[in-house]
Amino acid sequence: MDEPTRAALASGRVDPSVGLFLDTLTAMRGISDPVGEAIAGAALESEAPASMSPNALDMAFAAIERGAHEPKPQLVYPELAGTPPVLQKAMLAAEAGHGWSFYGPGISRLPLRLGGKAKAEILRIDPGVAVPWHSHKGCELTLCLFGEYTDRDVAYGPGDFTLADASIRHQPRAHDAGPVYAFAVTDAGLRFEGFLGALQKILGL
Amino acid sequence: MRSDGVGAGGRKTPGETLGDLERTRLADLLVRVATQQDRTAYAELFGYYAPRVKSYLLRLGADNSLAEEIAQDVMVSVWRKAAQFDRAQASVSTWIFRIARNRRIDVFRRTRRPELDPEEPMILPSGVEAPDAGIDAMETETRVRAAMLGLPEEQLLLIRLAFYEGLSHREIAEKLDVPLGTVKSRIRLAFLKMKTKLGDD
Repeated sequence: MDEPTRAALASGRVDPSVGLFLDTLTAMRGISDPVGEAIAGAALESEAPASMSPNALDMAFAAIERGAHEPKPQLVYPELAGTPPVLQKAMLAAEAGHGWSFYGPGISRLPLRLGGKAKAEILRIDPGVAVPWHSHKGCELTLCLFGEYTDRDVAYGPGDFTLADASIRHQPRAHDAGPVYAFAVTDAGLRFEGFLGALQKILGL
Repeated sequence: MRSDGVGAGGRKTPGETLGDLERTRLADLLVRVATQQDRTAYAELFGYYAPRVKSYLLRLGADNSLAEEIAQDVMVSVWRKAAQFDRAQASVSTWIFRIARNRRIDVFRRTRRPELDPEEPMILPSGVEAPDAGIDAMETETRVRAAMLGLPEEQLLLIRLAFYEGLSHREIAEKLDVPLGTVKSRIRLAFLKMKTKLGDD
C-alpha cells in the first residue's frame, strides 16, 4: 500500500493543479479514497477545541442570511454548469479575473492560475474544430468535461482522461455535434507518469 | 454512554475520537440542517466543529484571526452544502474535514508548500490498493477508526501528521527530530498494521 500517495491526496498536500484535476476526476466518476479521508476526519475530532470569538455563531448566521440573498455568480458557458462544484469555483474565480482568451481559431482557454508548479487550464473547442498538431514540453493530463472529441483515433467523452508525455504529437478534434470543454494540466517536472499508475490503482481503473 | 457528549464544551481530552453513537447523532443533526434548516441543530454542530476546524488551521500555520475567519467560512459552507451530505458515504467529521481542507488549499496555496519536495516524489512505483468497492464508506470509517485505536501513540502521531496535516516524510523527520529513515520505516509499519486491520473481516 502506497501511504505517501494517499496521504498527499487526503491531506491536500498535492500540487494544487493536480489536486483539482483529481478532485474533478473522482467527483465525475463518483469515486473516492475513503480510507485516507477517514483518518483525517477522525483526527479532526481529536483536536483540542480552540476558542472562537463569543459572537462567532451569530456571525455565521448573519453570513448565511446574507448569502441567501446574494445572486449566485454564473459561469460564462452554461455547458459547464454540470461540472463538479470544486471545479466550478475555480472557473468562477478565473472568469472574475483574467477570463477566457483566444487560443486559436475556434479555440479559447481559461487559465486557472492555481499556483504551484503544474499549470491548469480549461479549453473550449468549437464543434468540428481540430487543435493544431502539437506536443508538450512535459506531460499533459487531459480530462474531458463536456462534449466529445477524437484524438489519435480514440473517441473521448465526459469523464475520460488521458496522459500524453513529451514524445506524443497529437491533434484532438471536436466532434461536429457540439463544443468540447476539457480540463488540461501540464507539468513542469512533476512525475505524472508514476502518478497515473498510482492513480489508476486508487481509482480501481 | 457518551451519546450526549458533543455539546459546545471542551470536555473531551485531546486525542479522543467520537464513538459510534455520537457520530450517528452528529449525522442526525446535519440531516436536520439540510431538511429543516434547523438552527438549533446547526448551533450544536457549530459548537463542536468550529473550534476544531480552527485548531486544524492554527496547526497548519494560520494566525488566530485567519484561522477564525476560515473556520467561520467553513461552517457557513456546512449550512449551504448540508443537502449534499450523504450519511452513507462519510461521517460528518470526514465531510467537514474535506470542506476545511479544500478551503485551506484555496487560501494557503500561494503561501505554503505549493510544490512537492523533488527529493521525495509523492508517487512511488509500488502499488496503491483500490479501496474495496464492496464495503460501504461508513463501514470503512468504522474500520479505519478501529485500526487507528490499535496503533501505539507514536505511530498514530505519524499517521496524523501525514494524512491530516499533510506533512511529507522529510518534514515529519524535521518536526520530530528523528532520522528520515526512521520516519519512513515507522510509517510503513503503522500503515501495514492498519492494512492488516482493514483487511480483517
